[in-house]
Amino acid sequence: MNDQALIDKANESLKDKVLAITNPAPRRIFLKVAVENLLEAVNWLKKDLGFTHLSTISGVDLGQSFEILYHFANNYCSFTIRTEIPRDNPQLPSICELIPGAILYERELQDMFGITIQNIPDPRPLLLPDDWPVGNYPLRKDWKYERPPEVIPGGKK
Amino acid sequence: MRFQIPIGPQHPALKEPIGLRITVEGEIIRDADIRLGYNHRGIEKLAEQKTWIQNIYLTERICGICSHSHTTCYVQGVEKLMELQPPKRGLYIRTLVAELERVHSHLLWLGVAGHEAGFDSFFMYTWRDREIVMDILERISGNRVHYGINTIGGVRRDLDELQVKYILDSLEILRKRSEYYKNLGTTEPSFVARLAGVGYLSKEDAIALCAVGPTLRASGVPMDVRKDDPYAVYDEVPFEVCTADTCDVLGRAVVRIKELFQSYNIIEYLLKNLPAGEIAVKAPRRAKPNEVVSRYEAPRGENIHYIKSNGTDKPERLKVRAPTLANYAATIKMLKNGFIADVPLIFAAIDPCICCAERAVAIVDARTGQEKVVPMNILKQISQKISANKERKREAEWPL
Amino acid sequence: MLTKLTRWSRLKSPWILHLNTGACNACDIEVVAALTPRFDVERFGILLKATPRHADVIICTGPATRQMKDRLIRIYEQTPEPKFVIAVGACAMSGCVYRGAYNVIGGIDQVIPVDVYIPGCPVRPDAVIDGVVKLLNKL
Ligand code: SF4
Repeated sequence: MNDQALIDKANESLKDKVLAITNPAPRRIFLKVAVENLLEAVNWLKKDLGFTHLSTISGVDLGQSFEILYHFANNYCSFTIRTEIPRDNPQLPSICELIPGAILYERELQDMFGITIQNIPDPRPLLLPDDWPVGNYPLRKDWKYERPPEVIPGGKK
Repeated sequence: MRFQIPIGPQHPALKEPIGLRITVEGEIIRDADIRLGYNHRGIEKLAEQKTWIQNIYLTERICGICSHSHTTCYVQGVEKLMELQPPKRGLYIRTLVAELERVHSHLLWLGVAGHEAGFDSFFMYTWRDREIVMDILERISGNRVHYGINTIGGVRRDLDELQVKYILDSLEILRKRSEYYKNLGTTEPSFVARLAGVGYLSKEDAIALCAVGPTLRASGVPMDVRKDDPYAVYDEVPFEVCTADTCDVLGRAVVRIKELFQSYNIIEYLLKNLPAGEIAVKAPRRAKPNEVVSRYEAPRGENIHYIKSNGTDKPERLKVRAPTLANYAATIKMLKNGFIADVPLIFAAIDPCICCAERAVAIVDARTGQEKVVPMNILKQISQKISANKERKREAEWPL
Repeated sequence: MLTKLTRWSRLKSPWILHLNTGACNACDIEVVAALTPRFDVERFGILLKATPRHADVIICTGPATRQMKDRLIRIYEQTPEPKFVIAVGACAMSGCVYRGAYNVIGGIDQVIPVDVYIPGCPVRPDAVIDGVVKLLNKL
């Protein structure tokens, strides 16, 4: 297996569903697909290429949209599938059907970015601490935290 | 009859705050929920407000036991972003500290496992031996736990002849003491019997639930980032990936003991072949807009950082996934249909590092969503099957 | 007579509860390392206890996180009088590197009163012993 062979395979099987594919460093491949084709791409990666290990899912706030990256790994390289979803309608299909271990990361996304995951097996809302105010998603760029003033026990000397 | 037992956040069996909510029928665990958030600090958000250099020290403090793994993972990524090539000697020293850290972490884990299995003198033995490693690390870096040895472009402290000799001497003592752990199975059959058959995780489940590290390797999957995706100087160093196929806590202990010896060999190789030269190159203050995925094999498994830069001296996004988080889904699987008395043991077996897992996650409720509701009689059958299995496992052999 | 006896036993053998309120684990392993053969605090009669109801001294590591705050107060209230709190590590004193993170309140002293502060990141086991001895001298 080498990087070029993987890229060729991706172009061959997914054809025009591939929006972009890059190989910035050896053993690192980034494939971009549209949200509608996400499940198909993950399925292809798992079934045809044998990438069964999902390392993690990261989210990035790009301003107008969120970028979601699925980092897969096998014993040769790290393969990342990325997709973009609009900020005003953040909806993402769940990949737990294919990769059961993804549940933790999807819940993390829900929590940190306020993205709705469709068909997530355990849809109970996630919160930060018990008293966390609703509608605050800490990893969004426009969310700022104001530190409340500290008290010095015994007063300032 | 079903009962819910809350365990934690402060509980004698758990060293770190975590909430477990366990549903039991009789002695058998039907369902388990993990409730995190007690240790969540919000490091990923904080990292966006700090500079590249400041973030080294922040990532170091994600976790105290695998502090070097987080900094190395981060620093490797940033070096790629800044297009730096750290000098060979620097990489050797970095790898050396990484392996020393693996030794201290595995010794620590063995002690905790012994403690949870009711074998407290073993706990004291391993922790005594761990002090030797701590002394070495203190000699190299000046601190016992947070070494602060990584910097962007290399390492901060060099090794001299005396230190090399000291480490080699200490290594001899460690090797000798570790022989005892290797022969543990033959001298302590009750310890082996306690671990065997507990926390079963089949190979298929381990793969499907994306387990990592010794948990995965104990289920017979030879996956190790050091071999698969070599970073630093692991492509030059000879070593083997250790696996076990018993799929239980015993297997996890065996994998870790084997890895101890591998680490001793690696350390010896590194010291004997230490190249001369510089230890670091100068790093620029800014990084061009780019992104990088950095992987690292921490003592507990695969550690992955995703770093995105935007041209300033601060990262645009730093995503950290620590190995413990990846193992939670598998832990829930292991707990199910086990016995209450095994909870601390199973939980300790993944070597949980809660502070790692919680740098950004809030509540993680790990339910695979595949479990069906099982009627009572079937449950009984299952439990009988389990106890039948147990009987056989009682005669478990120590595989070393 | 009885008070004398309890005072004497408290001085000779303080029982300790170790509580992690969001620390990075380094301080915790150093506290545990203080129990193991190299440092061995048990020779001073210091015992690690599992529940707050048995403890005289609470050793807190780590900054107080928002989720932990209520639990911290509850554990403090469960500890019988007289009780003492030791803040171990830079985090427990002020928040250390996590100062300014959204889920961190700050030092332990923002939530419960603290008697002794032990600086260090992480503290050394000898510093933990020293801190406990200082506390005993204060009694
Ligand atoms: S003081 Fe330092 S070592 Fe201790 S918990 Fe805080 S960050 Fe970790």
